[in-house]
Amino acid sequence: MSWIWFHKLGSPKWFYQWSSKWATAVFLIGLLATLIGVGWGLGFAPTDYQQGETYRIIYLHVPAAVLAESCYFSLGVAGFVYLVWQMKMAPIFIKSMAPIGAAMAAIALLSGAIWGKPTWGTWWVWDARLTSVLVLFILYMGIIALQNTLEDVTLANQAAAIVSVLGLINLPIIKYSVNWWNTLHQPASFSLTKKPTMPMDMWLPLLIAVIGFYCLVAGLAMWRMQSEILLRERRTQWVKEKVMNDGV
Amino acid sequence: MTYLSFFKAECLTLFRSKQRVVNALLFFVLVVVLFPLGIDPSADFLAPAAGGIIWCAAALSVVVSIESLYKESYADGTLTQLVVSGLSLPWLILIKVGVYWLAMMLPLLLLTPVFAQMLFLPSDSLLVLLATLLIGTPGLFLIGSIGAALTVSLKQGAMLMVLLILPFYFPIIIFSTAAIKAIQFGLPYGGLLALLAAISLLALVVAPVMTSLCIKASVR
Repeated sequence: MSWIWFHKLGSPKWFYQWSSKWATAVFLIGLLATLIGVGWGLGFAPTDYQQGETYRIIYLHVPAAVLAESCYFSLGVAGFVYLVWQMKMAPIFIKSMAPIGAAMAAIALLSGAIWGKPTWGTWWVWDARLTSVLVLFILYMGIIALQNTLEDVTLANQAAAIVSVLGLINLPIIKYSVNWWNTLHQPASFSLTKKPTMPMDMWLPLLIAVIGFYCLVAGLAMWRMQSEILLRERRTQWVKEKVMNDGV
Repeated sequence: MTYLSFFKAECLTLFRSKQRVVNALLFFVLVVVLFPLGIDPSADFLAPAAGGIIWCAAALSVVVSIESLYKESYADGTLTQLVVSGLSLPWLILIKVGVYWLAMMLPLLLLTPVFAQMLFLPSDSLLVLLATLLIGTPGLFLIGSIGAALTVSLKQGAMLMVLLILPFYFPIIIFSTAAIKAIQFGLPYGGLLALLAAISLLALVVAPVMTSLCIKASVR
């Protein structure tokens, strides 16, 4: 299989053209899968014998939490790519992805708090998992603040890439916090490699919701990257032609 | 310029602008004083909290004072001279941060027993507190130096720098105060000190390189 199409994506022009074909489709697939997964989970999946109906928030909480971590991981990879190969697309990706990741982390924290009240009896505990996700949210906000404050684009790119790479250290802490420390938060409820610990008709909607969230985020990120590309490449010929021909 | 002459020049510059270090120490003192005034001056509250209070004050005073580490040399062009000097920039940064660490930590370590006494910290915990400060603060300074270099070109960069760097201080503060709590409960604390040393060593490897990347991006 040839990888040329993949390497071409490092060029803003190619990425723009390639993603225009995919963004809407991926987003719609994601929307559909999210609706199916979350709807099935909230309405039709069996009731948990311990937690009753409250467990259903898992269908929002788990996908958001998974995405919050995955988005940060992708930021870290993009930051590394930028620091090593100085690829143009990497900072565009970081800039587009950071707010999405921040939103996911915020959803995970809020839905977790709403879940915590009936099950643990408290909105918040200073538990390792909760605290490290809060730090993740602050890291996202820091990256966003950095890009909004630094006016020099090259410097902003470099700075965001460095903070993204440094923040990677938080991910293993989040991931293993429930195994390393004895905490209130339960161990991972969702894994692709291990046998699910819940019955199939609870697990399947969760899987669909997670896949849906991934596609949703991918679609949103592509759209955001497209506008960022147009903004950054506004002096190039192809953007001028595109704007002249198709309008904005 | 050689590494040695740079070291001497750094020491001299810092000695002549000692007010910077004094300000940072005063800030440390003020933050420590806030806790008994603001929360509870009784020994019941202060004795178990003393380690945490001193650590929070130390972290805050480091992050606030290190923000201006490169500001002056950026403004007068010295930083550009370092980049083009032909010497390895990460080593120069290490020297600069090391000198600053010595200048700030020696008086801070001398102040700590006084404040430990005022906050009713049990005397057997004092040695552990000093050990965590000695092992953990190099990490604070090195990580802070990255933030200082990121925001060096900004006029109003202090807030952004604190916002970016403080989250990276959390593990250092957590392990230090955990070590102090461990000795207060009579538990072993060696492993926590080792973790602290590991963080500082990791920062020692990563931070100078990252700082030099930021400086190079800033001084073009």
